[in-house]
Amino acid sequence: MNSIQSCQQARSGTPMMQIIIGLVLLSFFSIIPGIPGKALAANIAGESRTYMQYRETAAGDKLLPLYEYLDFTVQDLGKESISVHFGGWLGYDLSNNSFGGNADKDRSVQYGYVSYRAKEDNTVVNLGRVMVFEGVASERLDGIYARTDIKGGFGVSVYGGASTILTEPNDNTIYGGRLSHQSAGLYTLGISYLKQERNGSSFREEEGIDLWLQPVNKVAITGSSSYNKKTTGWMEHAYYLMLGPFDKLRFNTEASWINYADYFAGTTTNVFDMTPGGPIDPREKVNILGEEIFYSIDTNWALSVDYKKYGYDIAGNANYYGAKATYVLPKSYNAGLSIHKMDGDTNRLKYDEYRIYASKKIDKIDVTVDFLDVKYKEPINTVTNAYSVTLAAGYELTEKLKLGADLEYSKNPEFDKEVRAFLKINYRFDAELGKRKGV
Amino acid sequence: MNNKKKVLTFLLLLPVFVLALHLSTGTAGTALKHPMEVEAPVMCSQCHTDWRASMDHSAEFGGLRHKFSARQNKQTCGLCHVESFCADCHGVNEGLKPSDKYKDAPERALPHRGDYLNQHKIDGRINPASCMKCHGRQNNERCRVCHK
Ligand code: HEC
Ligand code: HEC
Ligand code: HEC
Ligand code: HEC
Ligand code: HEC
Repeated sequence: MNSIQSCQQARSGTPMMQIIIGLVLLSFFSIIPGIPGKALAANIAGESRTYMQYRETAAGDKLLPLYEYLDFTVQDLGKESISVHFGGWLGYDLSNNSFGGNADKDRSVQYGYVSYRAKEDNTVVNLGRVMVFEGVASERLDGIYARTDIKGGFGVSVYGGASTILTEPNDNTIYGGRLSHQSAGLYTLGISYLKQERNGSSFREEEGIDLWLQPVNKVAITGSSSYNKKTTGWMEHAYYLMLGPFDKLRFNTEASWINYADYFAGTTTNVFDMTPGGPIDPREKVNILGEEIFYSIDTNWALSVDYKKYGYDIAGNANYYGAKATYVLPKSYNAGLSIHKMDGDTNRLKYDEYRIYASKKIDKIDVTVDFLDVKYKEPINTVTNAYSVTLAAGYELTEKLKLGADLEYSKNPEFDKEVRAFLKINYRFDAELGKRKGV
Repeated sequence: MNNKKKVLTFLLLLPVFVLALHLSTGTAGTALKHPMEVEAPVMCSQCHTDWRASMDHSAEFGGLRHKFSARQNKQTCGLCHVESFCADCHGVNEGLKPSDKYKDAPERALPHRGDYLNQHKIDGRINPASCMKCHGRQNNERCRVCHK
């Protein structure tokens, strides 16, 4: 039922969305050749990616979905400061099973908007289906996003519209903004606000602080805190200290704290509907402390060790630690080896993780192998060793056209053994539009 | 009712922005494209020592740390990334797992490699908040099959 709903949403979109897509398309086609009397030039650049996948579900159904991802940007639209941006995908199921069994198609406009950008003050106005990343907001909405720098190191951004995320798109509004101040080279501090209403009542109301601070060279602190105004509690504090690079060494320290009751309050899926005493308790709070140390041996080789400690109020503790070695030869060779151990208070949180990969590019061909292995202490469905092996190969037919094929074989508690196959075609394009010959 | 609210929202936002524009300074904005070609893994600190140095794309940038820079400085990302790059992992209604699209890029920090239906039960318990960002209000059609 849910998938039917979402499908309808995906197909028709909100009325606003239709208007917006109309606008985007209109402005797109209006720059295509033949506008009499004007020699409007514009640049279009983008990529088309076609994927065909073969896989089986745990129930044994064979799926053969075909996906087409398209994105493009039209720049220099008549006036330099106007551009059009689009990204979206279409899915078509060649076996009639992939998209929930009751639908053979799926699609989504990830973003599609017209953008005005001034030459000064980073002033931007985007209209359409926009992606907004501003402080507490990481949202997709059908509406408007605008930002500008102002006097004295301040910056302002505002956005508003209908959220594209909820399944009942016709009655929900989302809006908010962020005010920031920066002192060049020393700090950037932002405060942000987001409010979302659904069916006439407040559904989310969040406030955030975001920070970047560099007291001295090679020492930087970055992070953010978010507060849930509806449940009146802090959702999360997440901070990061970066030291380095000192010659060949760099240190990253992470500290975060999450309060589940406030953090998960605005979910729309039952995945995160928690019940007291259930697998995840809504009264749970977690502290995460992490440290990563990187050492670059030379320009190609690097070593890192990492440690993460999870301290739960209710579920006990867990420690995750390990090491990684990588070898990179730009545009030619890429390899890595990592070993990690999860050691938690519960048996489920006791396992070892191994990964080895290598990728090589020779002329127009690239080949990749990737091996991932998890060994569980406590068997899951009688399986203690879950692994997957991936083989991928690509061929650059021309600079713009690339073909690829990959195969993934895995064995795990969910599937006795599973094979997934992929074919893909990537095509990059760029062209000048609307410029008449000889002009 | 619903439309009224939308109009109201816009009326509210507009003056804030117009006011802001009046206080603008007339200094040149960020470029559209990064002036130099860079190669992965991009270490900004190789060429920059100021605020840009903290956007070093070291291993944990892709998984965790980039969110801090993105929250404050989305425009800087636009120097090198088109938005579809972000949408590959941050799609609202995504057809494919990010790691399915980039099997030829094993060095990247893509969420959930391999077959994830098994391991997610463990990862999802360790830090469900990290899943909430992408699956709490979006990308959750497939979850409903099992999580009823
Ligand atoms: C190989 C050297 C190199 C690397 C690596 C590099 N940059 Fe740059 N970048 C430059 C040069 C050269 C300029 C132009 C001079 C300047 O503005 O410092 C520049 C300019 C910039 C600008 C100003 C653009 C403008 O004109 O408005 C930003 C912002 C920036 N870089 C961010 C980054 C970030 C973030 C990274 C890492 C993800 C990075 N750069 C990595 C060389 C580099
Ligand atoms: C100077 C250019 C430059 C700038 C500026 C830049 N990036 Fe990147 N970024 C790259 C390149 C190059 C890659 C490698 C792409 C690839 O592997 O396909 C990359 C990769 C990434 C990845 C994937 C990492 C992985 O391991 O999968 C993320 C996430 C990312 N960038 C986010 C950001 C964000 C967020 C910003 C803005 C705060 C930003 N980048 C700014 C050049 C840049
Ligand atoms: C390789 C996949 C990948 C790509 C590409 C990527 N991200 Fe992310 N992003 C993630 C992951 C994983 C997280 C969650 C990190 C965590 O655990 O908190 C995240 C988190 C974020 C967050 C915080 C989300 C929230 O709800 O709090 C923001 C903002 C963000 N990313 C912005 C960007 C932008 C902007 C780009 C493009 C320049 C980008 N990301 C590209 C994987 C990606
Ligand atoms: C950066 C965004 C991002 C983050 C963070 C993220 N996911 Fe995903 N995940 C996706 C996307 C995109 C898909 C593909 C869409 C789909 O399957 O509906 C996906 C697919 C999945 C699937 C389906 C896999 C399959 O083979 O069908 C599971 C299960 C899953 N995620 C669980 C999780 C869990 C648990 C976490 C937290 C530990 C998490 N995800 C974190 C983006 C993310
Ligand atoms: C094939 C069935 C299946 C699918 C599809 C599925 N899950 Fe799960 N998930 C499970 C099972 C089984 C558990 C373990 C429940 C338990 O141990 O009580 C679980 C556990 C979890 C947990 C840990 C919390 C808990 O309740 O134990 C999270 C978080 C989670 N899943 C997120 C997701 C997300 C997000 C998606 C969709 C992207 C998803 N799952 C899709 C079967 C599934």
